[in-house]
Amino acid sequence: MFREVAILLLCTFLAAAGTHYFHPRAPSWYLVDEPLRDDEVTLADIAKRWHSEVLWIDARPRSQYEQGHVPSAFLLNEQELEKLMFDLFEKLQDNTKPVIVYCGSEACQASRKMKDYLKERISTQEIYILHGGWKAWTDKNGAVVVGAK
Amino acid sequence: MRAPISLLMLLISASLHADLVFDQNPLEIKPKAEDEEIEATFTFKNGGDKPIHITGLESSCSCLEASLDKADYAPGEKGVGKAKFRVSSFVGENEKFLHIFTDDPKYPDQIMTSVVDVPVVVNIQPKLLQWVIGSKVEPQEFTVTMVGADPMKIINVSSTRESFKLETKEITPGREYKIKVTPTTTESITIGALKIETDSKIPKYQRQMAFFNIVKPDQLEKQ
Repeated sequence: MFREVAILLLCTFLAAAGTHYFHPRAPSWYLVDEPLRDDEVTLADIAKRWHSEVLWIDARPRSQYEQGHVPSAFLLNEQELEKLMFDLFEKLQDNTKPVIVYCGSEACQASRKMKDYLKERISTQEIYILHGGWKAWTDKNGAVVVGAK
Repeated sequence: MRAPISLLMLLISASLHADLVFDQNPLEIKPKAEDEEIEATFTFKNGGDKPIHITGLESSCSCLEASLDKADYAPGEKGVGKAKFRVSSFVGENEKFLHIFTDDPKYPDQIMTSVVDVPVVVNIQPKLLQWVIGSKVEPQEFTVTMVGADPMKIINVSSTRESFKLETKEITPGREYKIKVTPTTTESITIGALKIETDSKIPKYQRQMAFFNIVKPDQLEKQ
């Protein structure tokens, strides 16, 4: 009886270990921070380099922006790009602060798309992506403003 | 004797799999210029040898929503899905991904690609005019071409910078325009844009932008 249980447990362990080894989305054994890319900054960098004096751009969909965003952040997303840019441009053209773009989390691509879009049009400004996005902001208990700007 | 049987059953169940086979991948979606959103249907089947349970759907863009006719598909069973794309300000070919999560450990995340081809209606070339700081004050030109089915006229062009002079010329009414932009000086770094208003019946084409910069030489080289 004991032998059968041991064999079954061993089989279960081997199956689980095999699944973890071959599974394309297997979780890490421990939390790993994604390395910072050249165009990314962390909240700590923003505080240290610019004393948090930056211009925030929220690249998420409007519904998420209205549920909560970084204080004074402007909405500029792929879904309403032309319309939002038309109204936002005067503020951007006279901006002297570094521009920080964020989207939902590390996985989203919207902030990089918006950063590239802006870099092609306002090439003289410093533009970065917030590493970890909105999730990083809320994880650090950053202030949140609800509703449209 | 029971242990080898258990082991055999474990191995058999591990070798079974469920696999979604899409009839259209990529799914091509072709909205009309005036469409605000467009819905497309896609079909697939469970090409594996065990039932599959769909645990979730996730899109790479909030502009794409999808749903399936049900959550469980037997081996060989066909299914139907719907994809709804909000066109908004997208132009040209856009590739978006739909992740279909299943309970099959071999294929937990299956990806269907959608290619949304939104017709270009207004073409502005180039998108950005640049002068190098301190360079000779010379005009540069945007060409605005109305390439959609219906002609549209430019009714107003304004600059976000008063220090740039504009001259709009109609080459072919409703089809082609030239906008000459001349800085009064190139002494300082400047970012600006043209706001171009048209008489298009489709609201999203009524306002267009084109951009201009005065930059340092090294910034010009990066373009």
